[in-house]
Amino acid sequence: MKKKYAQNLLSTCITISTCILCLSQASCKSKLLNSRLTIASAGKISSIDPAQASSFHSLQLISALGDTLYKINKHGKLIPNLAIAMPIISKDGKRISIKLRDDVLFHDGTKFNAKAMAFSINRFKKIGRLNYILDGRIESVNAADEYLLNIKLTRKSSSLPALLTSVNLTPISPKSYSKHKDTFLNKEFIGTGPYKLIKFNSLQQRIVPFGKYWGENPKNTGIDLITLSNSTSLFGALKSGEIDVLLSNSMNADHLKALNKMAKDGLINEGIGPALEIGYITLRSNSPPFDSQLVRESLLYSIDRELISNRVTYGLRKPLWSLVPPNLWNKEKAPWPAYNPVKTQTLLKKLGYCNGKKLNLPFTFRSNVPSDKLLALTWQAQLKRDLQDCIKMELQGVESTTVYRQLGLGAFELVMLDWRGTYPDPNNYLTPFLSCKKINQTNCVIGESASSGSFWASYLIQSLLEDSDKETGSKRTELLKTIEDYAAKGASYLPVWLVNPLAWSQLNIIKPEFDSSGYLLISKLEKLNQWED
Amino acid sequence: MGRLKTLLIYSASRLCIAPLMLWIISTLVFILLRIAPGDPVDAILGNRADLIAKDALREQLGLNKTLIEQYFIYIINLFHGDLGEALINKEPVVEIIQKALPATIELSLCALIIAGLIGISIGLSGIAKPEGKTDLAGRLYGITTYALPPFWAAMIIQFIFAVYLGWLPIGGRFPPYLVQPEQTGYFILDSLMSRDWVNLQGALRHLILPAITLGILLSGIFSRSLRLNLSKELKAGHIEATRSRGINETRVVLAHALPNSLLPVLTIAGITIASLIGGALLIELTFSWPGIAMRLQEAINQRDYPVVQGIVVVIASLVVLISIVVDIIVACIDPRVQY
Repeated sequence: MKKKYAQNLLSTCITISTCILCLSQASCKSKLLNSRLTIASAGKISSIDPAQASSFHSLQLISALGDTLYKINKHGKLIPNLAIAMPIISKDGKRISIKLRDDVLFHDGTKFNAKAMAFSINRFKKIGRLNYILDGRIESVNAADEYLLNIKLTRKSSSLPALLTSVNLTPISPKSYSKHKDTFLNKEFIGTGPYKLIKFNSLQQRIVPFGKYWGENPKNTGIDLITLSNSTSLFGALKSGEIDVLLSNSMNADHLKALNKMAKDGLINEGIGPALEIGYITLRSNSPPFDSQLVRESLLYSIDRELISNRVTYGLRKPLWSLVPPNLWNKEKAPWPAYNPVKTQTLLKKLGYCNGKKLNLPFTFRSNVPSDKLLALTWQAQLKRDLQDCIKMELQGVESTTVYRQLGLGAFELVMLDWRGTYPDPNNYLTPFLSCKKINQTNCVIGESASSGSFWASYLIQSLLEDSDKETGSKRTELLKTIEDYAAKGASYLPVWLVNPLAWSQLNIIKPEFDSSGYLLISKLEKLNQWED
Repeated sequence: MGRLKTLLIYSASRLCIAPLMLWIISTLVFILLRIAPGDPVDAILGNRADLIAKDALREQLGLNKTLIEQYFIYIINLFHGDLGEALINKEPVVEIIQKALPATIELSLCALIIAGLIGISIGLSGIAKPEGKTDLAGRLYGITTYALPPFWAAMIIQFIFAVYLGWLPIGGRFPPYLVQPEQTGYFILDSLMSRDWVNLQGALRHLILPAITLGILLSGIFSRSLRLNLSKELKAGHIEATRSRGINETRVVLAHALPNSLLPVLTIAGITIASLIGGALLIELTFSWPGIAMRLQEAINQRDYPVVQGIVVVIASLVVLISIVVDIIVACIDPRVQY
C-alpha cells in the first residue's frame, strides 16, 4: 500500500510539473511573436484625467498621451511645443498672449485651437485637484482668435509661463469632455499626444501610436504599462525578461544597487533622468527646542549626508545641500553647510548642552517608506558615534498619510519628507517651503510654511518672493538664489538627498531617456532587433 | 421535533442574526476608520495643498458633515444596497468589488483544490504505517507548511520558478499583451466559455504560482487534520468490526474510515474559504494579484472610507453566508451533530 501511495504521489507531481512546463513553453512562443513593449512600474493609476491626476505614474502616462503648451529643455529654458512662439507678456505683466499651432488634432479627430486650450485651463482652474498650484494668479483665459490664447492674470507673475509646462495643464478635447466640464473622466483620455489610449484599468494600460500626430511619430508599435505591487516582483520581472522596461522610483535600495551593477556589467541599459525630487527634514520652529535658531543651526552641521547616502542608498541618491535641485541652476556655493560635528558641539555648548545635558531629538520617519527608516537609523547611529555627549535621538515611525494629516498641526519636531515640483522651476522648490500668508513675528500662522510643518517665516523672504515673481531672467534668478541663502540661515529645513528618476531596459531595447521634467520618453523606446521577432 | 425542522429553525435563526452582525461590523468599521489618523483629503492632495483647497475637497466629498450625519447617510445607503463611490476617483464601490472579488475567488478556489489534493494525499500516505518514515515525513510537511511565513514562501517560489527558471510569470493576473476577457470576471471560466485557448493558457500561467503557493501553505492543516482524525477513526469499534468481516484494508480506509474523518476537514475548509475571501493579503501582494485584499489594503492606505466600508461589509456577508452553508452541510452529512 505504501508503495502504491508513493507511486500515486510521484505520478501526481510529474503530471503537475509537465502541465507547468507545457504551459510555460507554449506561452514563451506567443510572447516571441509580440512586438509591443511592456513597461512595468509599482504605481497604480486611479485616474488619467489631468484635472484629477496627482501621482507620478498618472502624470507619466498623461505625458505620453498629451502635449503641453511649452516644454523645458535640458538647459532649463522654455521651448514652444503646442505653442509656436514664446509667450508675449504685456507691459504691466498682467496679460499673456500665446500663439498656437494650427496643425494639431485631438485623438477624437477634432481640431486643437485656442478654445480647446482655454477649456482645458478653465476646467483645471475650476475642478482641478491640484488647482492650488495656480495660486489664484489666473483671472481668466479666453480665445482671442482661433489660434491665439489670452491669459489675464490677477498679478504680475514671471513664473506662470513655466507653469504652462505642467502636465496637469495638458489640453483635452472639448467635444469628448463636454459631459465632464465639472466632473472627472477618470478612465479615458482624449488629448493631442503621440499615443492614444485604447485600454485602461488601474493596473494595466494599453497605448498605441496616434496616426495623425503632428510631431515625430513614436519609434515603437505600442506600449503596455503594467503595475507590479512590489520591488521584488519588478526586479524579478526585468531579470527574467518578462518585461522590457522597468520604471520606478520606489525600488528598494538593494534592488537599485543590483540593477545599477547589472547595467555596469552590460546586462541591461540604465536611463537616468534629471533629479527633481528632494529628500529633506523639516524642523518645527514654533516650539522648543527648535524655536531657538542656534539649536536649529547646530543640527545643520550634525548630519553626514555622504555617509547616509552611501549607507542607505549605496550612493545612488546624491547628497544635497540646497532646497533647489542643483541641475535647475548653476550656483557656485551650496547654501547649507557641510558636515561638521565640532561646530555642532560648539554651538550646543553655547546653549548649555553637552557635559551631561543632552538635546533630545524626537525624529519622525514615514514607516511605509523603507529609505526613510534606514536614514533615521543611520543618522541616529552617526549621532551616537559623533555627538554622544550632546544629542540623543529618539525614532518614531508613522505611516505617511498620518504624517501628512498631522504635519500642518505641528505634530512633529523633526520629520523626514520628500518633494517633487509639478514643473521644473526653482520657485517651485522655494515657495512651497517658505511662503506665508500670515506671519506672527517669525512664526507662520497661515501659509505654505505652516502646511509644511516648519512654521518658520520671515517678512524679508516674503517680500523677496513677491519681488522675484515680478522679475524675469537673471534678476529673478539672483533673487531666488538670495531667498535660498536666507532659508539656509533660517535653518528650518535640512536637505538630505536628491532623487533621480530611473528606468532600465533589456539590451534589445534602446536606452531609456527622460525629458527635463523627469518623465520617461516613452515614444523614443525602440526595439533594436524588431525583425527577429 | 424532527431533525430537519430543528435544522431549519437553526439556519433561520442564524440568518436572522446575520443583519445584526453586519450592522455591528459596519458600525465598527465606520468608527475605526474615523478614529484612525489621517484623512482622504490629505491622501489625495498631499501635505502641500492650502487650507482652501482642502476645505473645498472636504465639502465635495461630504466629509465636512458631522460624524452622526455621515453615519446615518452611510447606514441608510447601505440599507438600500448603495455602497457609495470611491473618494479617490468616484468609481462605484460595487464595481470595484465586482472587479476584485472574482480574482480572489478564482485564486482561493484553485488554492483550495490544490490544498485538498495535497493535504488528503499526504494525510492518507502516513496511515499505511503509522510512525513510519512516510508518516513522519507527512507530519513534518504539515508542521513546516503551517509554520512557513506566507510572504517568504511566496518569494522563494517566485524566485525559483519565475526569475531563475523563467517558466512562469512573476506576477499579475493576465498577460499584458492579450485582451482580458470581460464577461464574468473569472478569467478561466470566461476563456473556457469563449473557447479562447490562448487566453486560457495566459490566465492559467498567471494563476499557477499564487495558487500552488497558497495551496501548499494551506495543505499542511488539511493533512494534519485528516491524519489525526483518520488514525482516531481507524481505532474505532465499527472499523475493527469491518476488518473482522475480512474486508481488505484499502476499502476499510477509503469506504469506512475516510468519510467520517473528512467531516472536520470540511469544517476547516469552510473556515479557510471564508478567511481566504477575507484576503490572502500577503500572497496577493507578493504576486501582484489584483484581488479584494490588495484593493482593501490600498483603500486603507488612501483612507478611502466608502471602499473600505463596502469591501468589509461584503466580505463579512460572505463569511456569515459560508459559515451557515458549511454548518448546514455538516448537519446534513453527520447525524451526530445536535442543535
